[in-house]
Amino acid sequence: MAPSDHGQQRPGLWETVNERYPGSMISKDDTVPLAPLRRPLSEARLTFVSTAGVQPKGTLPFDVVHPIGDYTFRAVPSDSNPVDLEIHQLKYPTDGANRDLNVIFPIQRLQELCDEGVVGELTESFFSFIGYNMDPDLLERTLAEDIADAVEDQLADLALLSPA
Amino acid sequence: MTAVSLHHLKAAVASGDTAALIRYVRLHVGDGNEHVGRNEIDKAWVQALTVLLDMPEIDREFVHNTLQTKDPGTLAHLFFSLHFALVRSTGDWIHDGTL
Repeated sequence: MAPSDHGQQRPGLWETVNERYPGSMISKDDTVPLAPLRRPLSEARLTFVSTAGVQPKGTLPFDVVHPIGDYTFRAVPSDSNPVDLEIHQLKYPTDGANRDLNVIFPIQRLQELCDEGVVGELTESFFSFIGYNMDPDLLERTLAEDIADAVEDQLADLALLSPA
Repeated sequence: MTAVSLHHLKAAVASGDTAALIRYVRLHVGDGNEHVGRNEIDKAWVQALTVLLDMPEIDREFVHNTLQTKDPGTLAHLFFSLHFALVRSTGDWIHDGTL
């Protein structure tokens, strides 16, 4: 889909969100250009960053009740089995994902792509947070920076980003 | 970046626009539907009252100590947490996801 005049990829969605959550629509002009991949995908180390609210069982559940949002993330070991993971997220239907986590957090598909040599390797951890955050400045200043630092620490060559 | 979201709520606080604030709460607890949110708030209160009608044993010391010792932010968060916990305990869960 072609970007709209204000740079969003799904313009209709934003009007809907802003109608349901007044004042929630944000605009961002200082976009960062995509970095070129420096090696073939089959030699690259891939990480995965998702807003699906997926986390290892036994870790502190995401704060889904806070009216302003949760600005923390969870590291999800990339060799996890889906049965060892769970979802804490109020704002999207989780029925399908609870039957097969891969529909929202394709960890086994990425493991397979790695085993098949399509992707060179996976970072030790993937990263997950919840997308209901009403303070975009705090989101950018803390959560985004924290995840970016974690991704750098894992020496990722590329990051697959996925909204939920 | 234009931080509209939180600014919108803080501006409502500053101007005393409580209608905007309660609308936001209803949207939050109603998954984006104000009418549903109003019903959800009622549902939580009805559930709280219903549970107490049978006069169950209560840990009053816990409640008292919590209210006396915890900071306003924790108590406000507890208020939201109790809303969702009470609604969930009714078995009538309208939200797309899970706590």
